[in-house]
Amino acid sequence: MMHMTNFQMTIQQWRKRWAYQPWFRRYECLALGLAVWVVAALLFLPPFGRPAPLGAAGVILWYLAGFTMAGVLLTDREKPILLKRATSLSVIILFFWLFYRYSGTRWDRVQAQFFDFSRMDGVWEMYAQGLLVTLQVAIVAAVLSIIFGLTFGILRTLGNPVINLFLGLHIDIFRALPLIVSMVLIFYALPFVGIRLPAFWAAVLALVLMNSAYQAEIFRAGIESIPRGQIDAARALGLGPGATMRHVILPQAFKIVIPPLTNNLVSLVKDTAVAYVITVPELLTNAQQAVTWKRTPTPLILSMFVYLATLIPLIHLTRRLERRLNAGNTR
Amino acid sequence: MNAAPETRSDTTRAPMIEARGIHKYFSGTHVLRGINARVAHGEVVALMGRSGSGKSTFLRCLNRIEEPSEGDVLIDGTIITDLRTDVNSVRADIGMVFQDYNLFPHMTALENVALGLIHVRKRPRSEAQDLAASALTQVGLADHLTKYPNQLSGGQQQRVAIARSLAMRPKAILFDEPTSALDPEMVHEVLDVMRTLASEGMTMVVVSHEIGFLRKVADQLIMFDDGVVIERGPTARVLDAPEHARTREFLGALK
Repeated sequence: MMHMTNFQMTIQQWRKRWAYQPWFRRYECLALGLAVWVVAALLFLPPFGRPAPLGAAGVILWYLAGFTMAGVLLTDREKPILLKRATSLSVIILFFWLFYRYSGTRWDRVQAQFFDFSRMDGVWEMYAQGLLVTLQVAIVAAVLSIIFGLTFGILRTLGNPVINLFLGLHIDIFRALPLIVSMVLIFYALPFVGIRLPAFWAAVLALVLMNSAYQAEIFRAGIESIPRGQIDAARALGLGPGATMRHVILPQAFKIVIPPLTNNLVSLVKDTAVAYVITVPELLTNAQQAVTWKRTPTPLILSMFVYLATLIPLIHLTRRLERRLNAGNTR
Repeated sequence: MNAAPETRSDTTRAPMIEARGIHKYFSGTHVLRGINARVAHGEVVALMGRSGSGKSTFLRCLNRIEEPSEGDVLIDGTIITDLRTDVNSVRADIGMVFQDYNLFPHMTALENVALGLIHVRKRPRSEAQDLAASALTQVGLADHLTKYPNQLSGGQQQRVAIARSLAMRPKAILFDEPTSALDPEMVHEVLDVMRTLASEGMTMVVVSHEIGFLRKVADQLIMFDDGVVIERGPTARVLDAPEHARTREFLGALK
């Protein structure tokens, strides 16, 4: 009897809880739908390879049916979060699986072309060297462009018309000019007027010219966002313009410019790849050489992973930095 | 009422602050039209007037935070509106307290107060911090030295701002509506500090509409209207028996 009562109680609670659920949100309906859907897949899904139009329509309809059921589940507050995560993951995986099955791609050829890791001996060393050069270009260019960007940004806030004319010109030109254009011009055209730069420094110069222009604007905006009263208070204490900038304005402005600045620095690291066109032996150049050497585009795919593996941690690092600075007590 | 305020100021010496015919133009508008004023050593002078009447601009001209277009300002007998004067050392000797405190948000209360001592007075850091701590103690904030401005109430922030001026050992302090941005219950804590300063003989120029406070503390009251001084005199006399119609109008609106 005790058993019965407990059992009945559970059923009653269960009913109470689900009393206001529409029928299609009930687990039994969803389970039934899922079963029908799986059986339909087993019976009607066309075989591997590019399907006939009718078969393709069937595949799409079948995917949409699954998508709809997932939608019903995902829009329900009562369903557990773990189930929802599993469902959304399944929907994504299913998409790629269908693509794999019905796109008509010769996957064996794709693998032979782009993922042929068997003959990659010697390539890893090239990547290491390339990455080193990439980072050298990036770090030198980043440091120089921050120095110049900050200087230009401060100079822009002084309101001197002559300085503003020259800086405005620099900023306008190098924000408008594609990096690849200025880099090619610096490396291939400047020698005609007697200025001969090594490829490395030509790449650094082009990167610094462009990024200092962007950063000058970032720093100027940061400095100008500091309220007028801060300057008044500092000047009223007797601090000179330089000390006011150093102790009052810049510490506050730095915090404001950190997100756009790190953004700019990350894209600077990416932009080092443009140095490929002027034969700087950086990552992309080395990858291209490996392509010719090994007669397979696999190294290009690999270089993509190297870029991702370098830049994603960098992006997360900057995000951590931002959060740490914002966690401080100030403002 | 406290003891006759006139006895506190020393009129035999050159005035602490003297303004001679100050004019100020802001891109064509004539904001100040020939203001004269004398503030004796140890005197407290109140500036009143409607918003836009020029009282704050005049106050800001006294330490050249605003550059007067014409006229001279003399501090302790020296003309400071001269291109050759070192304006920073002049400003270091005149404190200024602002309506919205203008504390430096990236520094603690102690660092806010010590900043001027370190970089203007060139005191060693440890000595500057001691002086800053004692200035903060003087305004009743000994327990809040390491707090940042956003952890302090408005009244506390304004007292830090006063301590920041005090620590520089100024000859005079300019107050630009120091209680206007405060919640009513915090006004008195700032006014108390100012009253103590006045009783210790600090020369003060105060833009304020706190009538009760000014009546007790200010020796002289100057009424501004539309860039000119319309009335001036002992505070009690101006408050109780205003001569100018505009003064009566303004005081009536305040009550």
